[in-house]
Amino acid sequence: MDILFLLVPLSVVLVLAILAGLWWAVERGQFEGIEQEASRILQDD
Amino acid sequence: MAHSSPSPPPASSASSASVNPLDGVSAAQTADFAVLDDPQEWLAFGKPLDASVDASDPFPDSTSPSTTWQSQVTVQGMHCAACALTVERAMTALPGVVQAQVNAATGRAQVVWRSGQIKPSDWMGAVQAAGYGILPANDASLVDQRKTEERRALWRWLVAALCMMQVMMYAYPTYSALPGDMSTDSLHLMHWAGWVLTLPLLFFSCWPFFESAWRDLTHRSISMDLPVALGLLVTFGVSTAATFDPNGVFGDEVYFDSMSMFVFFLLSARWLEQRLKNRTAGALDVLMNRLPESVERRGQNGEPNQRVALRELRVGDEVRVLPGEAFPADGEVLSGDTWADEALLTGESAPVHYAPGSSTTSGAHNLQSAVWIRVLRLGKDTRLAAIVDLMSQAALEKPRLAQLADRVATPFLWLVLLAALLAAVFGWRVSPNHGLMVAVSVLIVTCPCALSLATPVAMLAAAGRLARGGVLVQHLQALETLAGVDRVVFDKTGTLTQDALHIDQIWVRPGVTREQALSAGAALAAHSLHPLSRALVKYSEASTPVSSGCSGSKKERHGVSAPMEIKDVSETAGQGLSAAGGWRLGSAAWCHVDLSPGSLAGGPVAPGRHRVYLSDAQGWLATFEGAELLRPDAQATVQALKALGLSVALLSGDRPEAAKQVAAELGIAPDLAFGGCTPEDKLTQLQAWQKAGHRTLMVGDGFNDGPVLAGAQVSMAFGEAVPIARARSDMVLLSTQLLQVPRTVHLARRTLRVVKQNLIWAALYNALCVPLAILGYLPAWLAGLGMATSSLVVVLNAARLSWPGRAEHPLKS
Repeated sequence: MDILFLLVPLSVVLVLAILAGLWWAVERGQFEGIEQEASRILQDD
Repeated sequence: MAHSSPSPPPASSASSASVNPLDGVSAAQTADFAVLDDPQEWLAFGKPLDASVDASDPFPDSTSPSTTWQSQVTVQGMHCAACALTVERAMTALPGVVQAQVNAATGRAQVVWRSGQIKPSDWMGAVQAAGYGILPANDASLVDQRKTEERRALWRWLVAALCMMQVMMYAYPTYSALPGDMSTDSLHLMHWAGWVLTLPLLFFSCWPFFESAWRDLTHRSISMDLPVALGLLVTFGVSTAATFDPNGVFGDEVYFDSMSMFVFFLLSARWLEQRLKNRTAGALDVLMNRLPESVERRGQNGEPNQRVALRELRVGDEVRVLPGEAFPADGEVLSGDTWADEALLTGESAPVHYAPGSSTTSGAHNLQSAVWIRVLRLGKDTRLAAIVDLMSQAALEKPRLAQLADRVATPFLWLVLLAALLAAVFGWRVSPNHGLMVAVSVLIVTCPCALSLATPVAMLAAAGRLARGGVLVQHLQALETLAGVDRVVFDKTGTLTQDALHIDQIWVRPGVTREQALSAGAALAAHSLHPLSRALVKYSEASTPVSSGCSGSKKERHGVSAPMEIKDVSETAGQGLSAAGGWRLGSAAWCHVDLSPGSLAGGPVAPGRHRVYLSDAQGWLATFEGAELLRPDAQATVQALKALGLSVALLSGDRPEAAKQVAAELGIAPDLAFGGCTPEDKLTQLQAWQKAGHRTLMVGDGFNDGPVLAGAQVSMAFGEAVPIARARSDMVLLSTQLLQVPRTVHLARRTLRVVKQNLIWAALYNALCVPLAILGYLPAWLAGLGMATSSLVVVLNAARLSWPGRAEHPLKS
């Protein structure tokens, strides 16, 4: 199980990367105005 | 910054239709949009998009290109996304509007337009013509600020969620491994990984706790964030020591999983609480969206007098302040004689006499008659800034129950810290690790937050729900008092009956035409805010020969044209108006009119009919008669109040027969209906009832019932009340629906029940869990779960109050 000594630190890095992605999403307002998206289908354009 | 805070529209006689921002906009508002064409107003609800333009000087040169502005507005009356499209198309169809984005869910719109090609009143008028209400969004900056805060809170919560999940993944093997299965190195690897992922949690998600705890320490006070921050620090410290020095004094057990779970639960509870608060604050801030306040200014060089926005006033202008309005500036009285209330400024409730030559104070309320003043000093703190301040103060004011809870919470927290210390000392004997973790459990499991949260959260939820229904709560304490009320007292004219009197018969003295009598009467009535005067002005506007068929052209309403200059008008409460030259307008006694059968003045008054008489130096001139209509929901309101167990009373300044008739129609007991009351009579009767042990709610419009509104335990200013009544009463009914009265009482009772439930829960929870933690039965993660659940329970219980639906009052199906 020595491979764990590579995989676990790799997973830590992955989590940090996901956190960075979440930061980007929140800052760009991806989580706001969710109700409006549902009615986008009704628009003509 | 030179813009004054926005305000509710004045109860002016020129535009007497009631403005109801929650139900759609009346026709009179088309004229008022013109106030927004002033470029100086644009900054209040928008910003220029061209960076090169100097925003403080937006007057475009006729040769220079126009400026592009981006403005925020609120739109009322949209039911779905299709409505949003309609509004968008209505605006973009106009030349000069570059872009319009309307959000049906939030009711807000953003409009980009060019100032040289189109004016705000044009595109606002287009929306109104499409059938929707529209108002400038003066709270846009507050909305932005809240959005930033919400984003930050969401980010913290997401970090906590992700880290919690991953740390649990690393901790799981340590739980499920059989002894000997896992090598020490692997164990240390897992601990290290957990440590690394707890770091973002500590720095991002836990930051608010540390900040608040630091503030407590520097101020030598205590709040519930201090035990939480202590618990977090101790846990992290012990676990870090165990990670890097497993053979040290703190053992080799780590608690990263407990800590991250605890932070996640706590942040979830707080996020829900923040959303509730924001929704409430949002509902209250929406009331800031009003057209700017205006005042009548004398026209220069023969131009007619005009209503202008307050900020257009200059030193030296002459303005007329009607009774019930507030003085817009510090000035000097030119003509007229009146009494003014400066209580909001000086605290003295005795009125001050203003005669020609005396100085007026900005913000004082004109109580008696209209006066002309010359503006000497313009202040940035107008009347409305004071009211808005009062509103925001009221939101911070803590009701009695909340103060009680706070007083208990502080010593309780000290006890908790002490208990944690003792538990640590006793547990140290087993092992330092164990002792510290028991202390952490004690610190974390206690939830005095439930105690402190119980009342404010419920009151805020109720206030927000009420604000959405058109009831503005100015004193949160009133909700508590309202729950214990057992008698509701109504004013008649303007409250139980509709504001608009339908004038349908006019008698005139031989030799005078109807039009002359009407214009004379309206000129006099323009100086008063009494419902009968307003009805007369409205009727005269409606029947000017130029605009037959429609209710007055735009031009008529922009200016208050005064074909007859009436001088020295003074109003006597309950009687009428008088002016120089022997003019009198008012009741029969006031105008010295003979009402015997067969007289030219119309004979005795039939029940249910209301009259206003006009007389001049030669005697009776005209009689205007009309019928007063009851509000459509008045009867349902009285029934609903009775079903709630309240007794209903009526105090009216009108004739006793009229009062008795209305009482009979609505089902009010005859011994509780009084007519012919002066304001003092009303107060005396109210005090008699209060002495008999009744707790009263008074609903009125402030006209002739100012003292009794102040004297009742709870007061509600109704609809277009006199501004001073709106400022002084506990609640303001902005939507003129009487049914809101029983609904509010019902909600107040529910609120009090919820508060009691919350307090009982908080007490029971702490009484049970703290001993358990001291004895060592609660592991840290369970303690965290307990605390978060406890505050969640309180918040959700309170949130029930703001959910729509479920029978709101006994008569609603």
